[in-house]
Amino acid sequence: MAGEKIDIETIKAMLNLSDEDLVKPLPIPTRWSQPFWDASKEHRLVLKKCSACGYIDHPPYLYCTNCHADEHEWVEASGKATLASYAINTFGVPFPFWVDLPYVVAMIDLPEGPRMISNIVECDHDKLENGMELEVVFDDVTDEITLPKWRPVDKTKRG
Amino acid sequence: MGAGDFAVIGTGEVPTGNYPERSEFEIAYEVSRMAIRDAGIDKNEIGAVLTAGHIMSNPDNDYNTEMFFGRLPEAIGANGCSVVATTISGGASSFSIRKTAEGILESGETDTVLVVHAQRFSQFTANEQARYFAVAGSDVEWEVPYGMTYNSLAAIVTTGYMAYTGATIEQVAAVCVACRKWAMLQPNAMFNNKEITVEKVVNARMVSYPLTTLMCNVLGDGGSAYIMTTAENARKVCDRPVYVLGEASEYSHRTITRSVQKDPGKMGDDLAVTAKRAYENSSLGPEDMNIFEIYGSYPVISLIVMDSLGIPDERPSGELVLAGETGPGGKYPVSTNGEAMSFGHTGTGVGFSTFVESVRQLQGRAGAAQVEGAKFLVENCGGGAFMDCHFTVMGNEVPG
Ligand SMILES: [Zn+2]
Repeated sequence: MAGEKIDIETIKAMLNLSDEDLVKPLPIPTRWSQPFWDASKEHRLVLKKCSACGYIDHPPYLYCTNCHADEHEWVEASGKATLASYAINTFGVPFPFWVDLPYVVAMIDLPEGPRMISNIVECDHDKLENGMELEVVFDDVTDEITLPKWRPVDKTKRG
Repeated sequence: MGAGDFAVIGTGEVPTGNYPERSEFEIAYEVSRMAIRDAGIDKNEIGAVLTAGHIMSNPDNDYNTEMFFGRLPEAIGANGCSVVATTISGGASSFSIRKTAEGILESGETDTVLVVHAQRFSQFTANEQARYFAVAGSDVEWEVPYGMTYNSLAAIVTTGYMAYTGATIEQVAAVCVACRKWAMLQPNAMFNNKEITVEKVVNARMVSYPLTTLMCNVLGDGGSAYIMTTAENARKVCDRPVYVLGEASEYSHRTITRSVQKDPGKMGDDLAVTAKRAYENSSLGPEDMNIFEIYGSYPVISLIVMDSLGIPDERPSGELVLAGETGPGGKYPVSTNGEAMSFGHTGTGVGFSTFVESVRQLQGRAGAAQVEGAKFLVENCGGGAFMDCHFTVMGNEVPG
């Protein structure tokens, strides 16, 4: 899945893009999601667990989507997951992401229950397989924001 | 309310494509006038004007604001209008606005409602469109920072669907080929002058594996309108009314990660429950349907919706499509206007063009795309990141 390399400077000139157009969008934490991003910055993966029914919500919301209780705690996740399904973006993505092409966006299943969208990194795209085992890695994209991403547990599947 | 209480008596539609000089207001005005003329009614009989909110507004001349502040009834001289409203729920707007129309009719405020959609994407730059669609289909906090796009969302579902059902990429591509064949018969379709083949679709430039450019819909400007009335009034004023015979809806999620159905390959199983309710409400079944007017937006969604509709054939959906059974002349016509894939994706309007095409087919006025003797069909739409699904059984007679 090599794909052709695209020179972002050419695109920039062609479409008259500003530097600002090439800045990647970052999560803007909310009052109820801040603990997730704070932990991520410390390279810890945490999840919001309802104190009343034990349900884990991701994305976290103001109250438990299972029982409506407000009380909750943040629990440490195992950092393991499996690949539910994926796509390999090769073209036509928002301009800030052109430098990353080709890259994998995937739906990840956590053993704790929830599912998340993330990138599979450090992987051989030809060896991606639904159901494969993954482990979390942390990408410090700015001083403030760290994005949890995933890579294959099996070293022979790493790119 | 029973089956067949409401009917559509006239439609209007402009060509889909890139028309930067054609404003949304101009589209709305034009399709309204066409629908009024087509229905053969006096404009003053219109008691309610409903417009679909469009997406990507131009802040300097906001069509949405003009519409919900009442520009259209004045412009078309609808002197009997007492209700103005805008309804929007993304790709499901065509359904939610029709429910609004049905509610107004049921309330007794009026017996004639004009429903309108208009969209003009081409006024925005490629970058503006890319930015909007980076956030429209995906969650800004949890998905967009990872470079998620609408195309990757559909690709993720396609990967899952193929793994679960054994559908091949050629079958997925065949959906695009069938859509193009229908669009070739449609004067208002965006892509109606160049045939495509499975081979060409599969070998087109990869966008988001496993989807190529020809497996992704293209945005276009467009619009349509229709006149809805009570069945009782319809029989008086129209010689070929189209009745709403049964409906059913389901909502699942905002972000795809929270879909009620966890296996992206099994989404059709969930939709089947809703489709069954729509059939039951109409007292008809899939074997009675002459056409399946599906709003796919991506080929995999067409296959998933086909799976849910109980098409009376043992062959899986992908095989039916590859065998040409869903295209012109096939046993099970699907998406006879070419839908988002070839008719063009007009934002909140894809469901409108599907609905308007359904009416044309049942009125026997679908031109070169006419399915001979079409009497009953099932129509569907849905919005968001495949957040919901709505099915409507329609017919040009009310089954006794
Ligand atoms: Zn709870």
